[in-house]
Amino acid sequence: MNSKTLRHRLYVFLLVVPAFIVLFGVVVYPFFYNVVISLSNMNLRHIRDWKIVGFDQYVKVFTEPSQPDFYMVFVKTIIWTVVNLFFHVLVGVFLALVLNQKEIKGKALFRAILVLPWAVPQLIVALTWRGMFNYEYGSINLILTQWFGLPGVQWLKQPFEAFVAVIITNVWLGFPFMMVIALGALQSIPHELYEAADIDGASWFHKLKNITIPLIRPVMVPAITLGTIWTFNNLNIVWLVSNAGEPSDQTHLLVSFVYKAAFNFYRYGYGAALSIVIFFILLAFSLTFMRRSKATENVYT
Amino acid sequence: MATGMIALVIGLALLSPGCGKGGDERIRITIWHQDRIDVRVILQRQIERFMALHPEVKVEQLFKETEELRSGFIIAALAGQGPEIVYGPSDQIGPFETMNIILPLEGLFEKQWLERYDPRALTWYRGHLYQVADKLGNHLTLVYNKKLVPVPPTTDQELIDIGKTLTADLNGDGRIDRYGLAWNYTEPFFFIPFMTGFGGWIMDDSGQPTLDSRGTVDGLEFIKQIRDVHKIIPNEADYNIADILFKDGNAGMIINGDWSWAGYLKAGIDIGVAPLPKITKTGLWCGTMVSPKGFSINVNVAENKKRWVLELIRFLMSEENQLEATKELFTMPTLSSVQQSDFVRENEILRNSQIAIDHGRPMPVVPELRAIWDSMRPSYQAVLAGTQTAEQAAREMQALALRRIVEMNE
Repeated sequence: MNSKTLRHRLYVFLLVVPAFIVLFGVVVYPFFYNVVISLSNMNLRHIRDWKIVGFDQYVKVFTEPSQPDFYMVFVKTIIWTVVNLFFHVLVGVFLALVLNQKEIKGKALFRAILVLPWAVPQLIVALTWRGMFNYEYGSINLILTQWFGLPGVQWLKQPFEAFVAVIITNVWLGFPFMMVIALGALQSIPHELYEAADIDGASWFHKLKNITIPLIRPVMVPAITLGTIWTFNNLNIVWLVSNAGEPSDQTHLLVSFVYKAAFNFYRYGYGAALSIVIFFILLAFSLTFMRRSKATENVYT
Repeated sequence: MATGMIALVIGLALLSPGCGKGGDERIRITIWHQDRIDVRVILQRQIERFMALHPEVKVEQLFKETEELRSGFIIAALAGQGPEIVYGPSDQIGPFETMNIILPLEGLFEKQWLERYDPRALTWYRGHLYQVADKLGNHLTLVYNKKLVPVPPTTDQELIDIGKTLTADLNGDGRIDRYGLAWNYTEPFFFIPFMTGFGGWIMDDSGQPTLDSRGTVDGLEFIKQIRDVHKIIPNEADYNIADILFKDGNAGMIINGDWSWAGYLKAGIDIGVAPLPKITKTGLWCGTMVSPKGFSINVNVAENKKRWVLELIRFLMSEENQLEATKELFTMPTLSSVQQSDFVRENEILRNSQIAIDHGRPMPVVPELRAIWDSMRPSYQAVLAGTQTAEQAAREMQALALRRIVEMNE
């Protein structure tokens, strides 16, 4: 190896080292440390003298009776993720299609308004929605009762209604992301394809089905995958809107369940095991979804 | 050339923090606390006075949310880091002591100095002193708007009667515009006075929960009654809703803690503070939980800083500084001489605050308290939602608390 090649390699190495150090410090090391903790008995009483106990914590995750019940929380988390993603994509893509029309005037203004939910800090959004869901003073019930003559809904006091309330909040918060991504994807579709379809006499629906959807898919699938991971792991909205799981711990997701176990009850080993379980659920989903949706395949061939 | 440039950049990056550090040789002391903005302003003023007296010391205060402070301090201290001083209510002492992350203080402060303080300000746990407090209370009282409530109720029946008089549909639209009383009644901490008023308490001396009691059942039923039968409180109220109702004059009374009074006065409300009423059936006062708020020292504090940390705590707990905070915040001081001062004895709010403290019970500092709070919440809220009876709730709270304590301690 001559000195020029060696210098070139050293140069490349030096460029990579800072990123590697950061990645190792903030991703690799914490992940493996979490794995180790998940195999230990670390908790309030064994915070300094913890030891490896094998898969005990994983067994507890799946078998220990808990309040709220682990499997119920798991099912709720799935429902939460699916419903949220469905509306994020549906509303996001719909608005992107509307904004992508040539005839629409003042697009920049509409785009800015529609992106607003995304720009407001989550804490403010969550607490504002919480106030809006108040039984007596919230604007939602005032609209229902005074404009439509319907009875007020006990949004935050009943388990089902509270769950619907947190989903509504997160749908409102989440659609701008999908809209922005879908709009970017729509704008990258060559216009000639639509012109050719028009010459062939294709209807709006045919163009949507055969041009728009296939061509935005490579962009939307990673966005949906990311959206799924974010939504599945979303602690802020559920925690703040439902005031830490109210009523009666009925609005927990797996991630708030982990938070409670680790930080409220100092059960670090159990919390770490549960977080590894969540990691594998999301890993399995992401791999399957990416493979089945063929998102990585080239759509132009 | 390129390699040389990178080496230069990395070298400069590594050198620059060192240069900055070299510029300030002062001893640095950091305090973590969870106090609201008006308390922070006073603390900063006092810190600056301390630094003016001791130019060789730099003190920084850092605000953290309650949970962030607790978990952040645990993580930092276990890693051998963290602030030198952690400030907050005494209930964090139990977990901190169990994890061995705070120092025993009885050997660090002179006995004569400690004796100058109200004994309730000194938090002892398992034979050691772990916290010295500059404020006593963190307690709930009945705060009333004097324009609407000239004389505060002293019994539960008076509370209901005044509440009924005040609760009204003022504009005739069929909706209640003003309630007699409001408070964050979904939170178990605010339920404690009613539990004690009916003779209950959360745990026995050995730290075992005592939630399945007549006191719990009667307390729960009382709250349901004043909401559903007497209708003197809103159908649904968290802390913010109750606070806004009171500030807007849409609630004549609110159950709130000593942290709220200064804010109400600043908002221009002519408030009075009274102890929570006596329950006629039992003859017991609704006793709030009382907790000191004070300073603990990180077990990792460097030897060269220890002297200054102690000096700073002594300074912040001095007569002048306690009186300053008391005058602005109406919090109960812990120094006996300040408790006996003219201001404290003559101030109506502080006089009534003292009575409420005397009716109260000290908040336990054992780590199991956390499990008890969390076990109370689901059933308590289920009673309010009408999905459980008070008896069922009391039984389930107890069972859940026992299970959670076992899980925490396994």
